[in-house]
Amino acid sequence: MDLVRDLLDKRVVDRNGREMGRVDSLILEAREGAPPRLAAIELGPAVLANRVHRLLGRWVAALEHGFGVDEGRPLRIPVAAVLEIQDHVKVDLAFGETSAATVEQRLRRWIRSIPGSS
Amino acid sequence: MSAILDLVLGVVTSIGGFVEAGSISTAAQAGSEFGFQLLWAIAVATVMLAMLVEMSGRLAAVSRRSLAAAVRERFGIHFQMVPLTAELIIDVLLLAAEIGGVAIAVKLLTAVGFQWWVLPIGLLVWLVLWTLGFGPIEYGIGLLGLVTLCFVYSAWRLQPAIGDIGAAFVPSLPTHDSTRYAYLAVSIVGATVSPYLLNFYAAGSVEEKLTEKELWVNRSTAYLGMCFGGVVSMGVLVTSAMVLGPRHIIVDSYEQAALMFVPVFQQWAVPLFAAALGVGCFGAAVEITLNSGYVCSQVFGWSWGANKPRRDAARFTSAFTIVLIMSVALALLGFDPLRLTLLSVALTVVIMPAVVLPFLVLMNDEKYVKQHTSTAIGNGLLAALTVAGAIMAIVVIPLELLGG
Repeated sequence: MDLVRDLLDKRVVDRNGREMGRVDSLILEAREGAPPRLAAIELGPAVLANRVHRLLGRWVAALEHGFGVDEGRPLRIPVAAVLEIQDHVKVDLAFGETSAATVEQRLRRWIRSIPGSS
Repeated sequence: MSAILDLVLGVVTSIGGFVEAGSISTAAQAGSEFGFQLLWAIAVATVMLAMLVEMSGRLAAVSRRSLAAAVRERFGIHFQMVPLTAELIIDVLLLAAEIGGVAIAVKLLTAVGFQWWVLPIGLLVWLVLWTLGFGPIEYGIGLLGLVTLCFVYSAWRLQPAIGDIGAAFVPSLPTHDSTRYAYLAVSIVGATVSPYLLNFYAAGSVEEKLTEKELWVNRSTAYLGMCFGGVVSMGVLVTSAMVLGPRHIIVDSYEQAALMFVPVFQQWAVPLFAAALGVGCFGAAVEITLNSGYVCSQVFGWSWGANKPRRDAARFTSAFTIVLIMSVALALLGFDPLRLTLLSVALTVVIMPAVVLPFLVLMNDEKYVKQHTSTAIGNGLLAALTVAGAIMAIVVIPLELLGG
């Protein structure tokens, strides 16, 4: 598998098919005497911004901290939790129980208070 | 039967949704300043748009992805930052211009200053998006937009010489003001081939669950709908050329453009122009707002869809709300809506290669479109026109701004 072509930037869904985000970054594990191995995928705006430019990554991380949504972010998902890789990546997690859902849940609390949101 | 109904509805709504602030203002200016001479620019832009819209639907039907999502996956975030940032900036500018266009239309009907209407119109756009699903939004806008056919009726009643119109489909050099001529040609292309339309159409095809078996419906809708839509734009240009041109009326405001209806519609001229402008701009404002939510959600992998309850797509809803607030704020600053429109559409042409060229790569990648790849002629034509348009825009925009 070509990690950049076949995994990076792909859509990530939870075990129920709910959108979680995209594969924003990859964590490789260095091994002595063997090629590096994929250890985990990461989801989160700060690591995504960091790919564009380190400074942008720091700004986004600071913004997340400022809004109080930085706990447990970026979300690191070990390879063992990846169920399938097709045109999307399915992981053995529930979106609502992960830190990838922090902003969605915060915004939903506001949106639910507006009539007609459901 | 359902496919035929989809086709008819698709074509009718494409015609109704074709003209908005950009196309009305550029065609009205082109007609008043250069007669029929720039009809070729509308024809070229319409063919480009039809080809690109057909590709958007094909990409969505085969890959189940919208344009923004496919670009992120194929080219990565590094590359996508360029078209994403450019598209969002253009979306905000164009949305402010469309809201300004609706506000001017209401002003024409009520004589109350246009800035008083900006906030209520922004709220109405948001309410439409908050309460309606994709189908009612798309079809409602398209059907209401059929009022813009009054431009075609007006042009027909003015009985233009068919020979003169036919000759204008062949590009020719102007006898005066060549920079202005080139600027208007670029603006017509930018007003017609808006990047938001491409992603909006692809996202809409995903929402409507278009399948590979319905590719013929997509192709027919795109070509018939866009080409008939182009005729509405041509109606604006022809009417303007026959009414405003001979009277040396230069369109430097929408109020002046409204005068083009006087010979045909007389006392109904201003209300009818206001209705066509208002409905056209309102439809575009709703689509641009929705598209800004689509683009952000698809790039970052959030839950999205106009058919989903808004609380189940909170980041999507928040994204389009923020873009709408920014545009309303910009419109409230009091920029002249017509100037804002012309600047936005000219800038659109500058960023077009960043949107169209990667799109062409995707449409030739079997991983995304299987065996339904584009033809060499289509690829070459679109690439050449896009790059030529951008080079021309980079040259003429500064000249026009400095000259203006």
